[in-house]
Amino acid sequence: MSEDPYAVLGVKREATQEEIRKAYRQLAKKLHPDLNPGDKQAEEKFKQVSAAYDILGDDEKRARFDRGEIDASGAERPRERYYRDFHGAGAQDHAYANSGGFADFAESDDILREMFARGGGQRQFRLRGQDVLYRLPVEFLEAVNGASKRITMPDGGSTLDVVIPAGTRDRQVLRLRGKGGPGLNGGPPGDALVEIEVAPHAFFTRDGDDIHLELPVTLPEAVLGGQLDVPTPTGPVRMTVPKGANTGRVLRLRGKGVRRGEKDSGDEYVTLKVVLPDEPDAELVDFAERWQAGKNQNPRRKLEA
Amino acid sequence: MMQLEEFLLRARLERHSLETWIAAGWLVPPQGEPAPMFSDVDLSRAQLIRDLREDFGVNDEGVSVILHLIDQLHGLRRGVRELLDDMHRARGAGAKQ
Repeated sequence: MSEDPYAVLGVKREATQEEIRKAYRQLAKKLHPDLNPGDKQAEEKFKQVSAAYDILGDDEKRARFDRGEIDASGAERPRERYYRDFHGAGAQDHAYANSGGFADFAESDDILREMFARGGGQRQFRLRGQDVLYRLPVEFLEAVNGASKRITMPDGGSTLDVVIPAGTRDRQVLRLRGKGGPGLNGGPPGDALVEIEVAPHAFFTRDGDDIHLELPVTLPEAVLGGQLDVPTPTGPVRMTVPKGANTGRVLRLRGKGVRRGEKDSGDEYVTLKVVLPDEPDAELVDFAERWQAGKNQNPRRKLEA
Repeated sequence: MMQLEEFLLRARLERHSLETWIAAGWLVPPQGEPAPMFSDVDLSRAQLIRDLREDFGVNDEGVSVILHLIDQLHGLRRGVRELLDDMHRARGAGAKQ
């Protein structure tokens, strides 16, 4: 299929020869296959542009085309191979080959230096092994406190010991140097990249380096206050609940969060939640009925519109 | 490989231009005894030079610069290709282990 050469060059039918030549040059500069060695489509487009210019670039041919004496087909010049075709995969070395674009890399990089060391022999260079990816599920407290885990390799035989540092976050990737795929020709092995997947905990949640916990307390504990044992990631600690501590009251256990760095740690935030007995007994019911101040209390006053 | 006459014909080039181009370092002097021979690479390069000068209006200094950059570009492309080949080979070797 041949397209209108005027359209191919993007010029009007009444364009001057100079305008046509300019349009052609503009396109050809962009599309010449040798100026686009990696673009397979450039050659096809360049052919169309060349064919169009073959007709329109020549006064006489252009006049005949305008009169309808010739059409746009068959105008394509048979072209010898492009220069770029001698640089493709498997192309032989020739006098014009130039690796100067790598010279500075090659000075500092063994792989490239060996790659461009020309002359004689099979090119062979050392190549670092592949990185291998693993996903390792760990328990919430293992991630907070640190742990040692063993991964069994996909081959079923060998194993990989992974030290989970205290404070490891969900989706954090641990890099085990040299535990990846083997290198080529004596190159160093790749790394094992272990993505840690932290499971949620039954009652702890984590926000950065802080631990949050909702702590149920009884009515007497809330009203009278007292000493309670509170779970933390490193075991229960004794915490003082002040008198009259209500639901939603947040108490902080300093340093009982997630370890960050050598000595420092986040905090644990304990949110109190007053819980009545599942089945109120007669005494409680009796008390509630008699308790006038409770009846006058309006905890929903802020909800009134 | 081709001799001088065939080369000039296919490259649509005059002998005098060829000598100038060789002197400018755009083409390497042909090798061979008794008759110097040109290769297909020489031919395609000559056609590129002609495109640059005649169609694109590049002057002689520009041709030298462009050829130099194109040759470096091909060197870089070759380097990347070889690197990729070796990586794929290494990956194949790793998968077998």
